[in-house]
Amino acid sequence: MKKVLLTSVAALMMLTTACGTNKPTETTSPAATNAASTGPVTLNIVAKDFPADDPNAQKLVKGIEEGMKAEGKNIKLNIVPVQSGTYSEKLGLLLQSGNIPDLIYFQGGDYQFAVTQKILTDLTPYIEKSTNVKASMSDFNKERMKNYPYLLWLSPINSAVPVVRQDWLDKTASGKEVLANPTIDNYYNFLKEVKEKNNAKFAYTTAGNLDELDVIFGQAFGVTSTWLKGADGKYVYSRTSAAEKEKLAFYAKLYKEGLLDPEYLTKKYDTKEKAFYDGQAAVVAGTQGKVIDIYNTKMTGQNGANAKLTPLPPATGKAQGYTPVDISKESRGFAISAASKNKDAAFSVLEYMASQKGQMLDKLGVEGQEYTIVDNKIKLTDKFASWFPHFVETTLNFKPDKAFDPSTPYLSAPAMKSLEMFASKATKDNAFIMPADLAAKWDASLALYKGFAADVVTGKKTVADFDKFVEQWNAAGGKEVTEYANKTIK
Amino acid sequence: MRSKLKQMWTDKTLYFMLLPGLLYFIIFHVWPIIGMKLAFYDFRIMGNNVFVGLKYFRELFSTPIFTQVIANTLIISAMKMFLIFPIPIIFALMLNEFMNGKFRKTVQVVSYLPHFLSWVVIAGIWFEFLSKSTGAVNALIQLFGFPAHDFLTDKDSIRWVLVASEAWRNIGWDSIIFLAAILGINQSLYEAAYVDGASRWHIVTRVVLPHLYVPMVTIFILNVGFIMNAGLDQVLNFTNDSVNSQIDIIDTYVYRVGLINGQYSFATAANLFKSAIGVTLVLSTHFISKKLTSKGAW
Repeated sequence: MKKVLLTSVAALMMLTTACGTNKPTETTSPAATNAASTGPVTLNIVAKDFPADDPNAQKLVKGIEEGMKAEGKNIKLNIVPVQSGTYSEKLGLLLQSGNIPDLIYFQGGDYQFAVTQKILTDLTPYIEKSTNVKASMSDFNKERMKNYPYLLWLSPINSAVPVVRQDWLDKTASGKEVLANPTIDNYYNFLKEVKEKNNAKFAYTTAGNLDELDVIFGQAFGVTSTWLKGADGKYVYSRTSAAEKEKLAFYAKLYKEGLLDPEYLTKKYDTKEKAFYDGQAAVVAGTQGKVIDIYNTKMTGQNGANAKLTPLPPATGKAQGYTPVDISKESRGFAISAASKNKDAAFSVLEYMASQKGQMLDKLGVEGQEYTIVDNKIKLTDKFASWFPHFVETTLNFKPDKAFDPSTPYLSAPAMKSLEMFASKATKDNAFIMPADLAAKWDASLALYKGFAADVVTGKKTVADFDKFVEQWNAAGGKEVTEYANKTIK
Repeated sequence: MRSKLKQMWTDKTLYFMLLPGLLYFIIFHVWPIIGMKLAFYDFRIMGNNVFVGLKYFRELFSTPIFTQVIANTLIISAMKMFLIFPIPIIFALMLNEFMNGKFRKTVQVVSYLPHFLSWVVIAGIWFEFLSKSTGAVNALIQLFGFPAHDFLTDKDSIRWVLVASEAWRNIGWDSIIFLAAILGINQSLYEAAYVDGASRWHIVTRVVLPHLYVPMVTIFILNVGFIMNAGLDQVLNFTNDSVNSQIDIIDTYVYRVGLINGQYSFATAANLFKSAIGVTLVLSTHFISKKLTSKGAW
């Protein structure tokens, strides 16, 4: 009986393996765009936080359909559900199944296969013909579209800007100095003073890694891009450079003196933010614009109007700038399926959402619900708190025909300031799309760097071990990645 | 064969009840084996997959981090298997010694609760518990004059944290099967032992424990099959840059390189390798157990 059972299982395994088709998914071949039709053009759309049963998503879809119909474009949006869980993973699985919607929102980290598998439409010709989309694109958007013309994301760069409470800043003498002349030394003095004067537990907290500390200090120490050009004209990975070594030594000093949160490695976003609101941390970094706006609202709500936030500039040193902006591709955004039969209609949705009417709907919601017009001014209601833009986050081309009521601005003054400061101090990075066959090596070398950096900062290792780390980094796959970088970066 | 079929027909109701479970395993565990062939192909969403032979296996074994990942998986799994395995048995034996039924039930229910919490919640509890600045454990350590220790970022401690949190989560739940086995022991055996003058210790060692051998061996062999599953959710929630090198396991590696970076064929190759080791270990353990104790998983 046992033999029969074992043989059956083995046979079943062989059979299932052998019978598997080479072609797990079938999709329709890319078709010509927009077949003539009298009825509405149905577009399938998949996006994050966009479930079909969400009342706000329903309102948005209805608003888009009605708004576009008024402009003579009869479309119907059909929301494709994704399984609950991490959006990027679930979207990847959805697309693998061969179910490719016309309009796809990619969250980030989930589209490498789309590059190799050519499932996305080149949006360049559509953008060239557009009016509203073009007007809403930043210089970074344009650069990214040149390098990777498949994702469109009309949003401020997803980069962090450090902020401090105004009342805490005012208590320090070094605060004014740091705003006027943000050298590394002045920053160090400021972090020390702002902690002591306000009885904070630590000056700076970050969530899990050093990225949000690099926002201030990276460029000042000379880490001006992912790949640094050496004296011999060859590129080296910046994390293995002398600049990085110096930077890590400084971070270790901040950690040792209690200026950097001793538990930053285990902090999550929520606990990091809580530490800031509760007065444990004096400075945190948050994404410029909308996130700083949320921080400001929560901070003033909890600690009073004087606790409004002040964005801080990046430190000056060998260079000055917030974390360099990766222009190799959009990190997220909307794409149109290469297999879509209605590509023009799909792009017209993006174009409509970038128009003034579309932006009013996307950013503010429905009049009478999320906002009202009082004395010819836009007054946001309580319902607005649960509304957020899905298509166009940037305010670059957002010009409502009415002013906002001063009591309910679209973005608070600190949030606007953070956008301005980032725009004036943003620089371009030279990172590139890592090819699939180097993905494992890149992962290994990156993991090695992260571990080493954490050990140096927390005092388990010193910068004396740096050369050994570089050797290990090269052996872990960094050498091959560097060779590829030198061939790729122009 | 005919008599066996006849017997099956007689027990048709039982076999009918087996059907949903059988279907579940066919649909969710046997049928996906087809997908394993992806390890030998370059996946294409549009068009045919391209056969690449052992390309992804070669890539897997040539990645320097893979050896470390395998070692981490085996070490963490072995620690969990050998250190946690006796705990539910001891716990079940201890619960059985409680005469007060209400107290026993309360302890049982409380011990089950963590099993129903997600690892996100459990990690949050343990982070608070082990926090260097505010955690109860460090408060206690400092009370005895020792310096506070950051268990969560210390390479030497983190695997023990994984083992302890896993034990805390599953002690109650895993003890159910042993409690059930204990409750199934014929009362006359206890009575006979008492008549012979046996103490409680004798009853535990001579009556109760022998009845737990079969479930113990079965569960141990099944656990061996899961040796390559060191706990994806748990590790993802407990990891940080400082300790990742100590607890990066095959599942987290596959998740990171395969799912996050969209390298599905590579991830499938890693998973297939993992499954092959699991199957080999189960068969070997079963064989050894049969030879040594004449008891096996089937």
